[in-house]
Amino acid sequence: MAYLEVNDLKVHFPIKGGIFGRTVDHVKAVDGVTMRIEKGKTYGLVGESGSGKSTTGRAIMGLNKITAGNIIFDGKDVTNERGTREDFRKDVQMIFQDPYSSLNPRKRVYEILAEPLRNFEKLSKSEEKKRIYELLEIVGLSPESIYKYPHQFSGGQRQRIGIARAVALQPKLIIADEPVSALDVSVQAQVLNFMQQIQEEYGLTYIFIGHDLGVIRHVCDRIGIMYKGRFVEEGNTDEIFNNPQHIYTKRLVSAIPDIDPRNRGKQINFRAQVQKEYEESFSDYFDEDGLVYPLRKISDTHLVALPGRGE
Amino acid sequence: MWKFIVRRILIMIPQLILLSILIFFLAGLMPGDALSGQIDPSLDFETIEKKREELGFNDPWYQQYGRWISGVVQGDFGISFRHKVQVTELLSERMTNTLWLSLLSLVITYLIAIPLGVISGRYNDRIADQLITGYTYIGFATPLFIFALLMVWFFGFYLDWFPTGGSVKPGLTPGTFSYFMSKIHHMLLPAISMALIATVGTVQYLRSEIIDTKQKDFILTARAKGASESRVYNRHIFRNALLPIAAFFGYEMAALIGGSIFVETIFSYPGMGQLFLDSINLRDYSVVTATVLIFGLATILGSLISDIVLSLVDPRIRIK
Amino acid sequence: METNQSSVEIEVKEIEKSPSGLRVVWRELKKDKLAMASLLLLILIAAFVYGVSWTLNQDEIVKVDLFAINEPPSSEYWLGTDYGGRDVFGQLIIGTKNSLTIGILVTLMSGFIGIVVGIISGYFGGTVDNIMMRIVDFFMVLPFLMIVIVFVAIVPKYTVTNFSLIMTLFLWMGITRLIRSRALQEGELDYIQASKTLGSSHIKIMFTQLLPNLSSLIIVTMTLNLAANIGIESGLSFLGFGFPESTPSLGTLLSYARNPQVLEHRWWIWLPAALLILILMLAVRNVGEAMKRATDARQRRG
Repeated sequence: MAYLEVNDLKVHFPIKGGIFGRTVDHVKAVDGVTMRIEKGKTYGLVGESGSGKSTTGRAIMGLNKITAGNIIFDGKDVTNERGTREDFRKDVQMIFQDPYSSLNPRKRVYEILAEPLRNFEKLSKSEEKKRIYELLEIVGLSPESIYKYPHQFSGGQRQRIGIARAVALQPKLIIADEPVSALDVSVQAQVLNFMQQIQEEYGLTYIFIGHDLGVIRHVCDRIGIMYKGRFVEEGNTDEIFNNPQHIYTKRLVSAIPDIDPRNRGKQINFRAQVQKEYEESFSDYFDEDGLVYPLRKISDTHLVALPGRGE
Repeated sequence: MWKFIVRRILIMIPQLILLSILIFFLAGLMPGDALSGQIDPSLDFETIEKKREELGFNDPWYQQYGRWISGVVQGDFGISFRHKVQVTELLSERMTNTLWLSLLSLVITYLIAIPLGVISGRYNDRIADQLITGYTYIGFATPLFIFALLMVWFFGFYLDWFPTGGSVKPGLTPGTFSYFMSKIHHMLLPAISMALIATVGTVQYLRSEIIDTKQKDFILTARAKGASESRVYNRHIFRNALLPIAAFFGYEMAALIGGSIFVETIFSYPGMGQLFLDSINLRDYSVVTATVLIFGLATILGSLISDIVLSLVDPRIRIK
Repeated sequence: METNQSSVEIEVKEIEKSPSGLRVVWRELKKDKLAMASLLLLILIAAFVYGVSWTLNQDEIVKVDLFAINEPPSSEYWLGTDYGGRDVFGQLIIGTKNSLTIGILVTLMSGFIGIVVGIISGYFGGTVDNIMMRIVDFFMVLPFLMIVIVFVAIVPKYTVTNFSLIMTLFLWMGITRLIRSRALQEGELDYIQASKTLGSSHIKIMFTQLLPNLSSLIIVTMTLNLAANIGIESGLSFLGFGFPESTPSLGTLLSYARNPQVLEHRWWIWLPAALLILILMLAVRNVGEAMKRATDARQRRG
């Protein structure tokens, strides 16, 4: 059984309108997402902005209300108690996209890291201090950082503080919402490698939300591609990158730049081909609302949103 | 557009009802009731009780409220305990006086605000602007009643340029020119006092609006097309800045109402504000109730009008 | 061993200043000469009135002395006497103290309500916010001055405490709105979301995470409110619906001027109080505006 199961998750936001401010319509930010996440693996959620990938992550986390569907974590249904259930709160943590707004500017690093500890663990002052030093060591920051404020750090360092805070409670699952997209490219690799390192050390499971396919390919074991709140294609990393089935996935994959000049001709060719297919058979892939069809299995691990293919 | 207006009016209705209920209860808390002024003190307790019962003072509050509010809607505020006349009768002349005073203040407010704001915004950071900014700065910190006191002391008593009480010189026939001039003469000093304080907000708004607009791209475009400086100001900048100002008059109105209590007291001007204070001091509560209700109504309507006009002029407001 | 060594270093670092709201505001304020002069003046006035009124006997000053009524300023009575033969200068000192005290009291009380209601409204948003803002709207459209006067008139056993409570009851809305709109913006930021995921309770997030980030706004608003509240108190006392005459305030001294005789011929009774109110309000506003400019200019971390 999967470690985290998300079944037919829907998150709809009401649109208020009219004279009395009644709900006139809904924005279907997430519209029926199902996924299985294996322990110790990294699951990538990919899509353009507005595709619902962040909302999915936040809904699992309990930051957004769920309209329908359920979430089963470690065999227990936690759908309605994501915010209150203590073990879920401790076991599932989040790394935020923006390292500038995700740390309270008024708190010293010490207080930032102590917040989760104080909420869940009754530690003495000296134990608490010791834990915080350990955390700083894990993320590679110097011990004297603890009395500094977030603005005294660089973006990469801040993200490390964010990661230290997320791992403070020794969680089992971390939802990383575009953890490196606000960072300089030179710092991105650093943070990513470091995330992989702690994954190995502590047996962490990641949900990695991102839009940079290069990064996703580098870190993920399995990938789900989202478009307008629905899954377009889901599969293992090499299935997605080497055998994309849906035109949307193909276009994403074809857009990845390749630095090897010898492949340039091949690349241009592939793009032209994909573009032609996209123009010719748009209606095969999208319904009349421009949404994708329900997922179908084409192999044990590979699912694509196509009508009439697979079983 | 109309949706915003309808919604705004719908918000106002509960406000009106709540206001009237609040005033109704405050009236109930005021010592004595309509009877204590009317009844012969020699009557014994039981007769009074019987009379109270007859008049419905022992009914549940909502029935009493219902009777009271239906009277109010028809313009019946009851009888003044002190003056033994219909409150409406008492109000009508006072209301006219206050209305004229407010209107004159409003006119003077705009007469001061527009040129000062425009000069200040157009020539910002020059000497004229610095003087005007200094004035608005001090004006903001000055309570109206202190300013009015200083004005009446200096122009009324010391220089003796203006009358220091009343709304018209006694002995003049209504309708004549000298009667009209005397009215204006009596209103002028209080109106100027109010306007000089009330105007500072508008001056500041106009100034910052013009300075903002000056740097907008469409103004640069107009200049680039070769429009003369005065054309740029008259055709482009003022039009943009003045429209919201026009919409402020509802809010101004609400501010003037609060101010009229001070100004009418200081200038012994027989208006609603003075009537309100006198009635409170005389414990003439049916008059108090009526004046509070009318002023409350005026405040609510003032902000309604301003909100609607502003939303017509400035679509950003509507998104709220 | 390593930790030991660094903890010595850390003790030193601990003294490093925190960018608390007050400190940020103070750092900027120091650069503004006019504001600093105003602040100094306020401190001097406050020290003087609180210090001197300690030695003055209030009962002595408000006691009627029929042999010394309406005297002009002299060496004995620096600012003359009123119709009851009471020393105006003494009343001015006690009056300033009382006006300042109630101004500060009302500012703190209304500020407290504003902070609590504003943060709750802004943090939760949605229905809670909607209901609270409708209540605020209603209070905003009330004819403030008249309602307060009616309240003052009908409250049985009218005291200074009652007076400050009544003022507070109708003066909490402005600051509530300001704090609510900032809390609404701030609540969207990820550090608030992060606190939720870290298991902090709503109360804890609102008052230990959100509140410190609003401190500059709160300090600035409360300072400006103080100026306004001193004006409102003196206005109400002037009309006879503030402090009773037995407790002099700047407003009660001014209320003598409602008598045209006093207004025209005995300026020494009311004019000093009028000027003092102007000076106080201007000085407090100078400080407040300077702080506002400082915090507006750079939406700093504070």
